[in-house]
Amino acid sequence: MLMLKADCPICDGVVTLPKDAEESEIISCPECKTRLVVTSLKKKNAILEEAPKIEEDWGE
Amino acid sequence: MVTIGLLHTTIRGDEKLILEAAKQRNVKIRLIDVRKEIFNRNSYRTDYNIVLNRCVSTIKGNHATHFFESLDLTVINNSKVSAVCEDKFVTSLALQKAGVPTPEFAMVFNANQAHQAINQLGGFPVVIKPPLGSWGRLLAKINDFDSLEAILEHKDVLGSPHQKSFYIQKYIKKPGRDIRAFVIEGKTICTIYRHSPHWITNTARGGVATNCPISKEISNLSKKASAAVGGGILSMDIFETDSGLQINEINHTTEFKNSEKPTGVSISGAIVDYCLKVAKKI
Repeated sequence: MLMLKADCPICDGVVTLPKDAEESEIISCPECKTRLVVTSLKKKNAILEEAPKIEEDWGE
Repeated sequence: MVTIGLLHTTIRGDEKLILEAAKQRNVKIRLIDVRKEIFNRNSYRTDYNIVLNRCVSTIKGNHATHFFESLDLTVINNSKVSAVCEDKFVTSLALQKAGVPTPEFAMVFNANQAHQAINQLGGFPVVIKPPLGSWGRLLAKINDFDSLEAILEHKDVLGSPHQKSFYIQKYIKKPGRDIRAFVIEGKTICTIYRHSPHWITNTARGGVATNCPISKEISNLSKKASAAVGGGILSMDIFETDSGLQINEINHTTEFKNSEKPTGVSISGAIVDYCLKVAKKI
């Protein structure tokens, strides 16, 4: 299986997704370190957006 | 074959570990991003045996839990456990009522009562926490009356309604660490120390995890605390005090990804095993 690559929406750097990536997964851009979220995951392409900011009710 | 419906918002490293543990056990996971669902009882269809709540958003997770329970599906943790554990005041009440050692606390809604409550708790310092919240966010150690006034006024003016309920806890001096116990069905499966020179030891705030041997005292305390809040999959934050161990807080959608390595215990595997065990009893 080919490793999917996607553009970082912040710095345009190339982000390689893990083989077992899932939609909604949080990953970091290796270049600008921004926390990103996988918003769409198809066989040949993935879309990344900046991860949502932490909200008041987030946690354990 | 058992299928677990896994409720989530964002997928963190913890959820990835659960997915991997399920794969190793040949257990099917149906990922359910609650933000994309329409929770309408008249149209919703399910094809899983049991539901595991892993939402990072407490409020969304609670609504989803209630919905699936209304469909007669078992949700881990159930809505009763979540209702107790999501709110620090409700947790403290449950622990105190059950005779589980926990730091002294009070709830007030204005500055005058806060000052009186602090006197009842033995004076400054105290810790003020939002009743709902996590990861050590917006905790304030209050050392004197001036700080108390400033913090409460800021919360009153800037805060959401949740921030205007002042949960006050007696400050416990820690030996540079606290303990987190991972507890399933009342049984402690592993424990870590969370080390930090700061009085807030959350790993989300830089606390470093190392293995902590499970003592009989931790095991007994965690069992009692688990029973007090309704059981299920929990993690307990424990303070070491001069008079013994005390339960500080209990988490009902615990994060554990930084704890598997130091303890050598597959917490994710234990979570999946517990879901399977409950599903087989249904």
